[in-house]
Amino acid sequence: MTAKKVSANVVALVVALFFAFPTYWMVSTALKPRKDLLSTGYDLIPFSVTGSNFATAWTKPGFLDALGNSLLVSLTAVLGAVVVGLLAAVALSRMRFKGRKGFAMMLLVAQMAPFEALLIPMFLMMRDLDLLDRLPALALIYFAVTLPFCAWTLRGFVNGIPLELEEAAMVDGCGRWGAFRRVTLPLLGPGLVATSVFAFVTAWNEFLFALSLVKDQTKETLPVWLSGFQTQFGTDWGGAMAASALFTLPVLVFFLIVQRKMVTGVTAGAVKG
Amino acid sequence: MTAVHTTDAAVPTNSSSAPRRAAPDGAPRRRGSAFDRALPYLLLAPAVVAILWLIGWPVLSVLVTSFRRLNLRELTRGEVVWVGLDNYTEILGDPGFWVIAVRSVVFTALVVVASVLAGLLIALLMRQISPVVRIVLQVAMLLAWAMPLLAATTVYQWIFDQQYGILNKTLVKLGFDSFAGFSWFGTGTSTLAVIGLLIVWQAVPFLAFSLYAGAIGIPKDQYEAAGIDGASAWQTFRSVTWPELRPLLLMVTFLSLLWDFKVFTQVWAMRKGGPDGGSTTLPVYQYLEGISKSHFGVAAAVSVVMVALLALLTFQYLRRLVRSQEGEL
Repeated sequence: MTAKKVSANVVALVVALFFAFPTYWMVSTALKPRKDLLSTGYDLIPFSVTGSNFATAWTKPGFLDALGNSLLVSLTAVLGAVVVGLLAAVALSRMRFKGRKGFAMMLLVAQMAPFEALLIPMFLMMRDLDLLDRLPALALIYFAVTLPFCAWTLRGFVNGIPLELEEAAMVDGCGRWGAFRRVTLPLLGPGLVATSVFAFVTAWNEFLFALSLVKDQTKETLPVWLSGFQTQFGTDWGGAMAASALFTLPVLVFFLIVQRKMVTGVTAGAVKG
Repeated sequence: MTAVHTTDAAVPTNSSSAPRRAAPDGAPRRRGSAFDRALPYLLLAPAVVAILWLIGWPVLSVLVTSFRRLNLRELTRGEVVWVGLDNYTEILGDPGFWVIAVRSVVFTALVVVASVLAGLLIALLMRQISPVVRIVLQVAMLLAWAMPLLAATTVYQWIFDQQYGILNKTLVKLGFDSFAGFSWFGTGTSTLAVIGLLIVWQAVPFLAFSLYAGAIGIPKDQYEAAGIDGASAWQTFRSVTWPELRPLLLMVTFLSLLWDFKVFTQVWAMRKGGPDGGSTTLPVYQYLEGISKSHFGVAAAVSVVMVALLALLTFQYLRRLVRSQEGEL
């Protein structure tokens, strides 16, 4: 029996190695001096460590522009999607009105929309709006891509907060808005964070529209900039890996934040207490 | 005028919060004022407008565009030329299109099967291992999941690099000398194999986490009962785990189909559909026709065919999903 348990653990560790290796290889390559990279020597662990690749990537033409563009577009889109999505979520989850089912179904179906297949109409539409080569086009599209997901997910989170809490606040003299702001909104915090993170990652990763709608190099987002790494870096894999690591960092930080927030079940004691 | 207004409006119409503020003072609580009735629609309005404008309209537009001849010439002149089904006959009559379509479907099927199977095995494995190892495995998968697509694609290109890639170096070190200077991107098939591995590697964490969550939800006494009956590991899996996990497994399989069929980023970023178009899939073809060549009508027809194929593949799932949600709404 124990032999079986040991072998299961060993297999699990090998699998873990498979998943972690690319991240390890990205970071360790980014830390290696250039002369060690283009050599036939075998070095799973760096012989010596340098920060110069990060400096190279950071100062490459276009990197900072692309980073700024990506942050601007992603954050704008997510902010819009979360605010608009929250309004819809509250209506769908807290209010009774005619056509509620239909609206909910519309969100569900919109969530399945294959955006990649809408490339051509989006291109034509942005051209008509004179938004080609401009960042608002991407912000609008990322807003649309993430909105149904945000609304649907937030609806689930609002459903999870007992209505009794709001009613108790209203008995204590809060208006409907006051009850929402003082009771529901704070409890919704973790849900809002989690939803925003997933929406942000979607926008941060998006490549097809960023590639198709923006040809102006100063308006490139980070994925498009990085996809041309061979023009930027040639065979400088250290620089390319450093840039990739910098690209990964915000997502990793956000994932860690969500992990912690999700674990602390804020509402857990609220009803019992 | 104003005087009449203020006396008249002091309680009922001034604002929706007025009656409610009055409520604790003993005044009867007013329900169903015009504002209250309109409120849900007002809250939904921005979302509905955005969805109709930015999703609904493009869906219609892609259909309409697929019946037009719309190249750069027509676009700049603003001409509207209807060509009926010409765009469809053009692509469906092109043998090259069928090669790409079949390649996309086979590629998607292989990627989905591989990732769901791997996700299931890892989910089951996670129940058997010690907590510390489980956390190590989960952190490792989280790393793969969190890496942005373009970063991951770049890292894979470096790992699979012909001359200095760590994979070829390792294979040579293990005695496979023929891999010295082996090009993983020499043919379309091997390029797609690398891209497939990359997609599976990033898809498995979500699948494994979901299926693990489902697996730990299976009541323990069912396993105890199977143990008392003397069932083997395989029998236990077939009669306890499988029936319990089947609905979830079906759902993640369809979701994977939906996601993997549309993959553009990794395929394009890896080798731009090359070498010689050997790794071109439908989304890449759509991009090449539409954006690179400015054949918008033809590209729209490709999009419609893509959606039709996708709908065919996921129709059952969509029906099931809509039905399962109907009860909860």
